[in-house]
Amino acid sequence: MKVRILLIEDDPHIRRFLRAGLTSQGYDLLETDTGREGLALAASQVPDAILLDLGLPDMEGIEVIRNLREWSQVPIIILSARGQEREKVVNLDAGADDYLTKPFGMGELLARIRALLRRAAPGEEGQEQTFQLDRVTVDFEKRRVFRGQEEIHLTPMEYKLLLALIRHRGKVVTHRQLLKEVWGASHVNQQHYLRIFILNLRRKLEEDPTRPQYLITEPGVGYRLRDE
Amino acid sequence: MSDSDSHQDAAVKEGGRERILVGVSPSPFSIRLVRAARRMADGLKAEWYAVHVETPSQAHLSSAEQERLSETLRLAAQWGAQSVRITGTHVRDEIMEFAREHDITKIVVGKPLRRRLREVLLGSVADQLIWNCGDIDVYVISGEGEAAVPTHRRRKPVRPMESNYLWAAGIVGACTVLAWVLFPYFHLTNLVMIYFLGVVAAASLLGRGPSILASCLSVAAFDFFFVPPYLTFVVENTDYAVTLMVMLLVGAMISTLTARVHRQAESARHQERQTAALYEMSRSLTAALSLEDLLQVVVKQIARIFECRVSIMLPDDRGVLVLRQGDELSPDDEREALAAQWVFQRGGVAGAASELLAEIKGLYLPLRTSEKNIGVMRLETGEPQRILDPESLRFLEALGGQAALAIERENLLRQAQTAQVQRDSERMRNILLSSVSHDLRTPLTVIAGSASTLVEGEENLDDRTKRELVQSIYDEARRLDRLVHNLLDMSRLQAGEAVLNREWHLLEEVLGTALVQLDLLLKDHPLIIKLPPDLPLIKVDGLLLERVLVNLLENSIKYSPPGSLIEVTSRVQDQELLVEIADRGPGLPPGEEARIFEKFHRVAPGRVRGTGLGLTICRNIIESHGGRIWAANRPEGGAVFRFTLPLGDQPPALDKPSPEMLISPHEGENSSH
Repeated sequence: MKVRILLIEDDPHIRRFLRAGLTSQGYDLLETDTGREGLALAASQVPDAILLDLGLPDMEGIEVIRNLREWSQVPIIILSARGQEREKVVNLDAGADDYLTKPFGMGELLARIRALLRRAAPGEEGQEQTFQLDRVTVDFEKRRVFRGQEEIHLTPMEYKLLLALIRHRGKVVTHRQLLKEVWGASHVNQQHYLRIFILNLRRKLEEDPTRPQYLITEPGVGYRLRDE
Repeated sequence: MSDSDSHQDAAVKEGGRERILVGVSPSPFSIRLVRAARRMADGLKAEWYAVHVETPSQAHLSSAEQERLSETLRLAAQWGAQSVRITGTHVRDEIMEFAREHDITKIVVGKPLRRRLREVLLGSVADQLIWNCGDIDVYVISGEGEAAVPTHRRRKPVRPMESNYLWAAGIVGACTVLAWVLFPYFHLTNLVMIYFLGVVAAASLLGRGPSILASCLSVAAFDFFFVPPYLTFVVENTDYAVTLMVMLLVGAMISTLTARVHRQAESARHQERQTAALYEMSRSLTAALSLEDLLQVVVKQIARIFECRVSIMLPDDRGVLVLRQGDELSPDDEREALAAQWVFQRGGVAGAASELLAEIKGLYLPLRTSEKNIGVMRLETGEPQRILDPESLRFLEALGGQAALAIERENLLRQAQTAQVQRDSERMRNILLSSVSHDLRTPLTVIAGSASTLVEGEENLDDRTKRELVQSIYDEARRLDRLVHNLLDMSRLQAGEAVLNREWHLLEEVLGTALVQLDLLLKDHPLIIKLPPDLPLIKVDGLLLERVLVNLLENSIKYSPPGSLIEVTSRVQDQELLVEIADRGPGLPPGEEARIFEKFHRVAPGRVRGTGLGLTICRNIIESHGGRIWAANRPEGGAVFRFTLPLGDQPPALDKPSPEMLISPHEGENSSH
């Protein structure tokens, strides 16, 4: 069966190129230009993923997300402009799964969708014993990390941070989420901890820490572990 | 004096600062005197005045003495005193007069080493001051030492006028006694001269009335004692009748002339005091930095000169008079505001003791420039008649005129500044608009052109051309995106510091995100990044710092040939983080190093595309973070851009991992599930 995607976006031109891009990749596309109709379609058609524009005419994006999250775990990708970092963080913390900054390329969008669908697919998780990304290998059972053949020594906190990113691989994780998962709820505002640990992880895992290939910074929002 | 006025006086005395007067003479000793006064003034944080009184007897000072005097006064001025020269007949009187006018609290004078005969008889200036100073402290500094002896005397009552007439009679008596003694040896006409001497003395010492009395008494005494028949007022010889007539006439003329000279000297001194007061006010007004300062100066000076309470009202934007400085008006009296408004609109004087609304407390005068009234001054005193005296009024108007000019000047300056700011921002907007629309149109032209080519010529284009057109659409769209970011960041910055979203960041990471934005542009330029591993955290707006790095790197890429190296380095220096971006291009034309940060300035217009906004935004961003940015040419060729960011405090160090933060082996096994 074709994967069904619901697009809630009020600009017809953006809808047009997304339609072209997504249908040509074999996705089944539902479109609407209002939040209200979007919610109705989400309930009646049960899409596999939702693309949500934050500047809708009839309701705030965050209302749509909260409403959806009351009854559905469908993956949501928000589309927003740069300079709205705080808004993105609020929406991600409210339950959105990922975001794209306009203007974005089709390649980026498709990668996001694939990552989310993979993570949503049942049964796969919990089976894996190792994680592999390019030259980096993590052996969960033995708690060992390799770059190529060389073993990398991580501190317990660094390892915990890496595991948290692997759990959400391919998807953005906000600073707040990471701090909460790794350091605990009392540390959610201490971003500088996170920056220093990410820096150390990069220095151990990346070829060139200033041009990271695995641990991607999402400016003003959080981090993402590359997935493909 | 009314109750409120005496309160006011007490308040002035208590709240007012000490004011010191030092008497200066041509003597070389005066410099020490001035030095002592300066120390005293510094110690008390007092205002101080160096005063020299020129008396007629000093008119024949040698040029050396003149020079010494000027030097002393100049030194005093240099040390913060106001140097004043006054002319008058009596040093003591002039000093006392000045002291009263300027609320002097302490007088410093010198004691001469040698006493002249006159001083033995009449007392030195110092002695005279001590006996006449009232409640002012007098410090006498002797020629040998500089020990100051404070003395305090009650004010001596002013000699009443009636006694002057008695003195005149006494003088005539004395002349008669002298004439009687000389009578046997001299001709009668010479005795007349003795009486004239007496009249001149009375005229110069006692004033016109007593001196006319002295003339009449002289004629009578002369007739009675010396004109035969003796001891009667009868005159037998007509010659003597003429003598007596002429004597009376000459006596009266002497009295009148001497009195006139006195009056002129008095008015000259008065004039001088007013000129000095005007000068002092204009000096203070020039020093005032704002309208508030200026009004304060005016209120203070006029209050001091006229011993009254002063308020100033200026019209607000709607033309309604508002109290700007000084005491409140009597709020319960509506007529006060009425008087103020009337004076403001029509000019003239209104209020206390004047012809209009005489029964209210305040006296209102307009603050007038040559063209119009710009405000109203209100004076309140127990004796408004004193101010309404024509001469006082004229003086007050002169002071008011000066204040009005200063206020007007300040207002015009402010208007000019506002207009300038408006013109500048208008100009800025126009330049921005034309520059932005040009820069938006260029990529849009490429996008529209490429896209329409693809639409129209679908069949005729080979795959490679199609691919190229699509790629250029994508590249130009990215360029547009960067331009829009710059514009957005600039408008954010113009909203001010409050918008900065400062958080702890690592330069390495921010540089990383900047490089992601530039990946396409950077493909032709090898990049070397040298960052020390232990760079401290910086509290900055991450997105804006990223914008700085993007703009500086984009700038280096644009202005250096493909294939040439770009280097990014950083280090900590003097509590600042220093970042350098160096290229191997042609460098900056000499003299352009600072100008390139100005808005819309481009080194080679037309050669390289861009708004010329990038570096200006960099400067705005860096400066709003409290840092500096500058450019230079490298000695080995190419340009280098440097900026600093203050480090300030560092965030709290990382906590020791608490037990909840340690992973147990058990948790580790399950953490990915």
